[in-house]
Amino acid sequence: MIAEEALVHELKQKESQAKAFEVLVNTYKERLYWHIRRIVLDHDDADDVLQNTFIKVYKNIDGFKGESKLFSWMYRIATNESLTFLKQKSRKMGVSNEELKNRMVENLESDVYFEGDEIQLKLQKALATLPDKQKLVFTMKYFQEMKYQDISDVLETSVGALKTSYHLAVKKIETYLKEN
Amino acid sequence: MKKDKKNSFNTPEGYFENFHERLMDKIGKEESQLESIIPKSDGFALPEGYFNSVTEKVLSKTTESEAKVIQLTSYRKFYYGAAAIAAIFLLVFGLNWKSEIPIDFEDLANTEIDAYFETTEIDMSTYELAELVPLDHLELNDMLENDIEAENILEYLDENVEDIEDLNLDYNDYE
Repeated sequence: MIAEEALVHELKQKESQAKAFEVLVNTYKERLYWHIRRIVLDHDDADDVLQNTFIKVYKNIDGFKGESKLFSWMYRIATNESLTFLKQKSRKMGVSNEELKNRMVENLESDVYFEGDEIQLKLQKALATLPDKQKLVFTMKYFQEMKYQDISDVLETSVGALKTSYHLAVKKIETYLKEN
Repeated sequence: MKKDKKNSFNTPEGYFENFHERLMDKIGKEESQLESIIPKSDGFALPEGYFNSVTEKVLSKTTESEAKVIQLTSYRKFYYGAAAIAAIFLLVFGLNWKSEIPIDFEDLANTEIDAYFETTEIDMSTYELAELVPLDHLELNDMLENDIEAENILEYLDENVEDIEDLNLDYNDYE
């Protein structure tokens, strides 16, 4: 585990910035990638959004006040970048957000970078029926095994509300999987 | 059996001693039950060596952006700026009558406004912007990177407009 404060300090100094940024990318790239991938589903899209996320982090590091953890701040940028990416994609395609989600899941069937079986595909279909916030909470808790407090820092939502969202998401997914 | 001195309820022997263990057992069982319904892995894969190459890609992009800054969408920033100024004016004049401490434009540091636009993706359509910024607040040159001289406009019209009537000019405005 790297000392976060020291890293932030180095990122803000011109002479140590490049090296510190490389450390930052290497430390967080995998976790951020999987977070983004679970939102945008497609690998190439996730790659684009991941790179944009790091570029935003790089450009805005001076504005990072340290009020939240660096990781939470980066996660928040990654979440916003992913959701904005999907919004722009649906606008470009001239379809609604829901329609886009359905198409994204359909595309998974022919995606070379999706190796899921029938159940996993069905799980993605179930996830596509959830509101954005519930889906985010579910994937962060269930797949990424994040603590509620950390999710709360990222999504700026109370722990109680997150627990409710997670519970509702689990129930909806269970029902979907049983009925379909 | 242990008796609570304050009331007549009692608990089985050792109830509180192993409460935590039993609770964790229950949580564990519920989790494994959930995993039997919802798969724990979601089946996503990625190209071989992807994580090795992505660092290089990101680093090359950040050094590139430092070397040259080309504002491909500078007009967009102007829209945001114009929308922000209009919104601030609306806010200042709209709230002034009911707030005791008047909000001054000076209260907003330029760096804060810049940082906001840098970090926030304001996803407004052209229609939303048009609603926010009235047409009579905009000049043609607001949309353009370089100002167009009146002479150039006249020259353009001279070359491209065959019939002056096509322009639908209201001559009363110019008299």
